[in-house]
Amino acid sequence: MLDVQGIDTWRGPAQILRRVSLNVGSREAVCLVGRNGAGKTTTIDSIIGLLPVRSGKIGFQGREIGDLPPHQRARMGIGYAPEDAGLFTDLTVSENFQVCRWMAEASKRTDQVSEAETDNRIHAVFPEVLQFRQRRGLFLSGGEKKMVAIARAMALSPAVLLLDEPFEGLAPVVVTRFIEAVKKIKEMGISMLIAESNLANAVRVADRLYAIDRGEIIYQGGPRQVFENEDVMKTIRG
Amino acid sequence: MDILVIHLFNALLYASVLFLIAGGLSLIYGVMRIVNLAHGNLYAFGAYVTAWVVGQALAGAHPVILYLLLPAGAFAAALLGAILEPTLLRPFYRRAEEYQLLVTFGLLMILEDLMRFFWGPYPLTATSLFEKMGSLKIGESVYPRYNLLVISIGVLAAGFLWAFVYKTRFGVVLRATSQDMRRASAMGVNVNRVYIQAFTIGCFMAGLGGAIVVPGQSAVLGMGVDALVLAFVVVVVGGLGSLEGALVGALIVGIVREFGVSVFPEVELAVLYLIAVVVLLVRPAGLFGRTA
Repeated sequence: MLDVQGIDTWRGPAQILRRVSLNVGSREAVCLVGRNGAGKTTTIDSIIGLLPVRSGKIGFQGREIGDLPPHQRARMGIGYAPEDAGLFTDLTVSENFQVCRWMAEASKRTDQVSEAETDNRIHAVFPEVLQFRQRRGLFLSGGEKKMVAIARAMALSPAVLLLDEPFEGLAPVVVTRFIEAVKKIKEMGISMLIAESNLANAVRVADRLYAIDRGEIIYQGGPRQVFENEDVMKTIRG
Repeated sequence: MDILVIHLFNALLYASVLFLIAGGLSLIYGVMRIVNLAHGNLYAFGAYVTAWVVGQALAGAHPVILYLLLPAGAFAAALLGAILEPTLLRPFYRRAEEYQLLVTFGLLMILEDLMRFFWGPYPLTATSLFEKMGSLKIGESVYPRYNLLVISIGVLAAGFLWAFVYKTRFGVVLRATSQDMRRASAMGVNVNRVYIQAFTIGCFMAGLGGAIVVPGQSAVLGMGVDALVLAFVVVVVGGLGSLEGALVGALIVGIVREFGVSVFPEVELAVLYLIAVVVLLVRPAGLFGRTA
């Protein structure tokens, strides 16, 4: 589905990612864990195309996408929910969804689900969204914004979702709510790459796990097995 | 009383044209974050094209055809904008603001020279459209009907633009891009396409401003710079990037200027700049603008 091979990414003069490789299979939830500043967001930004990679390859559904602009990657079926939700706060929640829905329609992808089915899926995952569809993004709480960001990414009818810190800043009870939502999204057949700094949360949703530190992948494997690797645990927990 | 009505009409006339120019400038800034210094000469270009088409090239045609050709300048300015944005401006989006200002200022100069090259240094007129509409009696005074047409076009343009930005699919995408172009692109929006469309609409508005004034006044070299300066007063007052701000700013400038010409003609322009200074001091982002 998504195959990242040895990418190097720089932010200005600083090299952030060093030979990062990871892959996400069909109907798989993969977590990328690491401390703040380890390179998780940079990895997500590189995959969606917001940051150019200097070397390495990014493949999606068998096609090399490393040279494509972000909008083409999104239209191919890569949904993205940023760390800060990144809502268009001047627009209503409904309009936020529409932007992605229209872009999915413009893509003319054959594998996309219908608008009605997309709505059903969004409401199945986050029924709360129905209550504030006409509210402007500016007037949502932090948790609501995160909900809308994930729902908006689903409006693109994605094959894979990139979720950047979806549980960050949420109360523990809300985190559980979001974890249930993520599991439902996976049941819908949508693959996910989730950047997460909290290992406990990651373990609750991940089929596989990657750990990243200082821009390098230091672990890949099962989510439970990571606890057996002392070096990795020390690095992740600091 | 009739004098007051005429002053009011004059203020609205002035505000209509200013709104078209400043609205275009604000739309371009709002979406692309570029202060387009060449905008004034796109207004002048619209005026020249309409003056040339209506006043010279097809001067003998039926009046209905001439009225229909009035927006020729607007379409010409839009076409010019659609060529300029991807070729001349796009390479500078990632550069510092100074480069963009230099490029658009250079473009202002180039357009001025191109107009001089094509149409010469003398004023171009298309007064037949103005004269054919005759005048309206208001009390003891008369008022040109053509000016009322200009006011109507200004009101219609404001209405269309509002509906376009707030009620259409493209408007939603435009507002999303204007708020965060990186995130919009990650949601599937082709930002380059939105930019060219926004720039073209902005140029169309400037060109329309020029096209509708030209039957009432001549197209002359330098008119673009004068208009640009006043358009900046409008956007400073209303808030750069805000269409509502451009509308309110244009009304304020139109009213103050009209009554200034009658009541305090010596300092009429100074009062306008004073208003801009006061707004900058009290509310730096303008009445409808947002602080970063």
